[in-house]
Amino acid sequence: MAKEIIDGQTMTRALTRITYEIIERNKGIEDLVLVGIKTRGVFVAHRIESRLKQLENISIPVAELDITPYRDDKDDQHDTGDVKASPLDFDITNKHVILTDDVLYTGRTIRAAMDALMSSGRPKKISLAVLVDRGHRELPIRADFVGKNIPTSQREKIRVFMKEIDGEDKVEIE
Amino acid sequence: MKRYLILEDGKVFPGEGFGSSAITTGQLVVSNNRTGIEQSVTDPDAEGQIMAFTIPGVGSSGINRDYYESINSQCKGVVIGSSISETVDGSIPFEEWVGSLEIPGIKGVDIRALSRYIHDNGEMKASIMDTHDQHAIDQIKALVLPPDLVKQVSTKQSYPNPNIGTKMVIVDLGLKYSILRQLSYRDCNSVIVNYNASPEEIANLNPDGIIFSNGPGDPNDLTQTIKNIKVLQKEFPVLGIGLGSLLIAIANDCKITRLTHPHHESSLAVKEVASGKIDFVNHNHSYTIDQKSIGSSDFIVTNICVSDGSIEGIRHEYLPIMSVLFEPEAAPGPTDGYYVFDEFIDLIDSINHQDWSR
Repeated sequence: MAKEIIDGQTMTRALTRITYEIIERNKGIEDLVLVGIKTRGVFVAHRIESRLKQLENISIPVAELDITPYRDDKDDQHDTGDVKASPLDFDITNKHVILTDDVLYTGRTIRAAMDALMSSGRPKKISLAVLVDRGHRELPIRADFVGKNIPTSQREKIRVFMKEIDGEDKVEIE
Repeated sequence: MKRYLILEDGKVFPGEGFGSSAITTGQLVVSNNRTGIEQSVTDPDAEGQIMAFTIPGVGSSGINRDYYESINSQCKGVVIGSSISETVDGSIPFEEWVGSLEIPGIKGVDIRALSRYIHDNGEMKASIMDTHDQHAIDQIKALVLPPDLVKQVSTKQSYPNPNIGTKMVIVDLGLKYSILRQLSYRDCNSVIVNYNASPEEIANLNPDGIIFSNGPGDPNDLTQTIKNIKVLQKEFPVLGIGLGSLLIAIANDCKITRLTHPHHESSLAVKEVASGKIDFVNHNHSYTIDQKSIGSSDFIVTNICVSDGSIEGIRHEYLPIMSVLFEPEAAPGPTDGYYVFDEFIDLIDSINHQDWSR
């Protein structure tokens, strides 16, 4: 049975708070670049970007990152070995990149995302913002900005719904 | 008994007395609250104020004595057009209730004319009297309202509101009980202190966060509290509500101005700048933060009033300071603003989490 643990209002609030924290900890947002991990991480990035724009009147770039070729858990049969293509359409060298994703779990997605970023430039710094941190890391990775910490068991599933693709904002556990 | 509401510029509004028959003076505030009259009258913000309620049939929604915002009302007088003696829930009729609090009241006043007059001429002192001769008018003109309203309403001694969660110190500038209700609802372990409690005294309580409450009067009078904020905001997360938020603004070199049309309404729209979300919240303030002075400060504007564009909420860019001019605890009014308390607790949690992980 799926149970709603975050409703639309709480999600909106969490994203607003992450935005305030990004401003607080960066003393100026000129160097920032938001990179959303496909699929829902991209929507998280766009929502943070629109909030920053409203608050600071500065538009910062948002990029989408497809990490599929960089995953270490993908099926070997489909592995083409071609991981050189630059997934970003602008230079991130000397920028402060904020990676965004919906759920932080094992950390393997984030490792893959960092590999992808490194292959397309040398950022000054990479931070991580996630909507939900559910624990059970398998790599030494942690998020700088967390919407909500949700302790889970590994048997449970976390599903994030976002308006842009799912028609509503909520997080469910089952 | 025929009585008169006399404004400081000599304008007289005749009416009929009810409640206490004492002569009273105070700052006249026109409120558009429709419900929750008992919450407005018992709000410590009403210290030194004569409140005029513009709705017809005051009291029709009943008087609930469980909704008080302080133990004793500080309101100096009540002005209404008409009241209703039979309430839907069979509770005490409005006029009888005002009498039981020993507050002077005047009814049958042309409340729409009064409201427009104040709207056009600004807030002023007023008096409820038995006569309206020149002597009475001279008296109200000469009256100087006491500058120490906060001193009158702030708690003399610290007291706890124990619970098991986040440790809060609330600096009482005229605290509404609904702030404590909202903190209790969130398991906050609170201590309420006098408005001039020293930074050392507050630091010794080891709070996770400090709240500067709502309150009456002119923020510029509270010089010691402003000095204390300058010290405390470097050490602790700070939330300002109403008067508290104005003091935080002054402590950070922002200017305070009087609103042309003061906000005294239990349901006025406020926009959250970041998300564009509209909330209907309770307002009770005559001052606002000057837009220009915010531009040169380290604050960002987080909330604005939709109807006049005035600043309703600010947040420091680098320090954990947040501040709202409206009343997030509602009472009276819609409860859209409750999230401010959640946000402050989230802010505290994220700081504690950072410390732990670094």
